[in-house]
Amino acid sequence: MSSVADGNTMMNEERREFIKKTAIGVLVGLGAASGLVPAFSLEKTVLPVWDEKPVPGKIRWGMLIDTRKCREGCQQCAAACHHVHNVPDFRNKKDEVKWMWKNPYQNVFPTASQQFVSKEIQDRSYLALCNHCADSPCTKACPTEATFKRWDGIVAMDYHRCIGCRFCMAACPYGSRSFNWQDPRTAIHDPVTTYPTREQGVVEKCNFCSDRLVKGQQPACTEACPEQALTFGDLNDPRSDIRQLLEANETMQRKPELGTKPSVFYII
Amino acid sequence: MEVMMMSRKLLWIVAVTAIVLFAVLNVFRKGEAETSQPPVHKSVAVDSTKCIAPASFMRANHMQVLYEWRNSSVRTGNRVYIAHNGSKFEKSLNTCLGCHSNNRMFCFNCHSYANVKPKCWNCHLSPMETP
Repeated sequence: MSSVADGNTMMNEERREFIKKTAIGVLVGLGAASGLVPAFSLEKTVLPVWDEKPVPGKIRWGMLIDTRKCREGCQQCAAACHHVHNVPDFRNKKDEVKWMWKNPYQNVFPTASQQFVSKEIQDRSYLALCNHCADSPCTKACPTEATFKRWDGIVAMDYHRCIGCRFCMAACPYGSRSFNWQDPRTAIHDPVTTYPTREQGVVEKCNFCSDRLVKGQQPACTEACPEQALTFGDLNDPRSDIRQLLEANETMQRKPELGTKPSVFYII
Repeated sequence: MEVMMMSRKLLWIVAVTAIVLFAVLNVFRKGEAETSQPPVHKSVAVDSTKCIAPASFMRANHMQVLYEWRNSSVRTGNRVYIAHNGSKFEKSLNTCLGCHSNNRMFCFNCHSYANVKPKCWNCHLSPMETP
């Protein structure tokens, strides 16, 4: 009698163990199947849109900002830009790093030749970013060629080469460059895995979304704008949207008298 | 008998929880995938199951390869690497890590043994940091 009872408890114990293990196995299996355990979280590499070495000077990327459409107080373009590029936010003016921002009229166009412009125009704020000048003063100031004029007109930064001397910041007449006084990784609140960060001691700025252009996408700000106020395109192509708009509208550039030939245009 | 009833009950509870969990998680994941992955146009996925060069060559020369990739892709815009067997790869650290980050210690084991401190991970996401 007792031996039978012993056998029963043993069986029950084995049974209990079996059920437990099965349950755990099922849960883990389902977890893996539903992707709780990701195989690889980095962006899948794809071949660029262009296959061979690009021809220098064939393309000149540019942007047209229709400030009449730009909503007052809307920051969606800058937010999208800063998000996809892991731009740090130190919540502190002194350490501020920015690729795209809004400023009042007198700060964006301090040398505009028009006198007595309307109060409505003066009261609006205007989008500012790197102008990707055709004759860029920053690339001439850089002692290590860390910032350079790309084959497609983009003023690019090679962060690998930047020594943090900030000559480019002094040379840029538009204040488009920011210095990483601190480790930026501590101030990225919602990091993305698709773009690297920068490190302490390098200068950073807008890259005209060269990371997205290579995949055949539009810049993040252009896509994010709810009013389609930003037009991005090839300034060397007379049939491009941006060239059509430039021909049809009166536009202006920032500080044109300096001869930097900015690639960012404004409709006021 | 009572114990058997209990365990059968337990099995039922576990099964139902698992199915509900599976369904809920999948619904959430679908939403996430739609919002977080922008559509990629005109590009072709790379078959990174093949290696870009034999392991013995890479062991000795990966730094030269990375240096060449970095300069030619960033500075001249030549982003396509044609391997010895003719297959094409994007010149990107993510091409390497697409396979090699399966081993989280892939870079670190040798570098710590050789006491080499490359600065890649100051900016780029290392295999250790990929979730």
